[in-house]
Amino acid sequence: MNLDLKPVRVATGSGDEEGRLIFADGYLVAVLVQLSDEHGAEARKWFFEAGFGQLAGPDQPTFADLDEAKAWITRRLR
Amino acid sequence: MAAGSSAEKAPLIRKLESIANLSDAAREAVSALPMTVRVVEARQDLARDKDQPAHCCLLLTGWACRYKLLNEGRRQILSLHVPGDIPDSQSLHLRVLDHGLATLTQCRVGFLPHESLRELCVRFPDAASALWRDTLIDAAIFREWMTGIGRRTAHGRIAHVFCEMYLKLHAVGLAENHRCPWPITQTDLGDALGLTNVHVNRMLQDLRAQALIGPRYSELVIYDWDALCALGEFDETYLHMERKAAA
Repeated sequence: MNLDLKPVRVATGSGDEEGRLIFADGYLVAVLVQLSDEHGAEARKWFFEAGFGQLAGPDQPTFADLDEAKAWITRRLR
Repeated sequence: MAAGSSAEKAPLIRKLESIANLSDAAREAVSALPMTVRVVEARQDLARDKDQPAHCCLLLTGWACRYKLLNEGRRQILSLHVPGDIPDSQSLHLRVLDHGLATLTQCRVGFLPHESLRELCVRFPDAASALWRDTLIDAAIFREWMTGIGRRTAHGRIAHVFCEMYLKLHAVGLAENHRCPWPITQTDLGDALGLTNVHVNRMLQDLRAQALIGPRYSELVIYDWDALCALGEFDETYLHMERKAAA
């Protein structure tokens, strides 16, 4: 499976705006958002803002970096 | 472990009298219930799923919660409890617990033997009826939480739980002038409301920016009660309090 990331600005209603659309083999599967300074120790981590299909649901982890997020998404989509 | 004095049942009596009328004799009988008291640190189980306890837990100080655990450590907090609550009163009639009960903060907990509670209910029907009423209100609170988790926005859920806990604490004399301690973590709050810690944090910042609540997390200060109620679509009818807080 091939994951592509595309930068995007996300209107979360907070300071968390910097995002990535995650495409798996051309299909949009998730939106990640980088946490702003408003989140203290969690700032600059990547939050799983939304998932589609197999990634939809209440499980919304926070990742230290984009590689960790990609590994988690790849595992979930297997 | 220590034997609880009759004065230690004050939160229970205050709680029961906030929802029902107790005769003098019933009040005295509740005060005279045998009780052992233990200090339990934060994040300890008071009872586990599938336990068959022989006593009920009366919270004297601190906050506790009922919860369910799913795979991979996913936790849903089912209810929040404060002094005066008997969160496992169902164990008096249902032999096996179908969820866990844990402290969220350090708590003083009174353990009331089932046998004594049963005897109280037989001898004092108004005490039995107050406990029954308490379990019915417990169910009403569950209905509100279900509605909230299923249909309220994240803002609405947080506003609603703030209003609910303020009134519950006020009923037992632990909140006044729209201020009360807020000792549980943001993660606990998220687990109760079905929200991630990130969402809880965003919502809190937003409620502060709207000047609905005060700036510090450890103390809930409600600046605008009416606006917070409106945001949470909070209608206190389901708490069925006999004595209303001055809201």
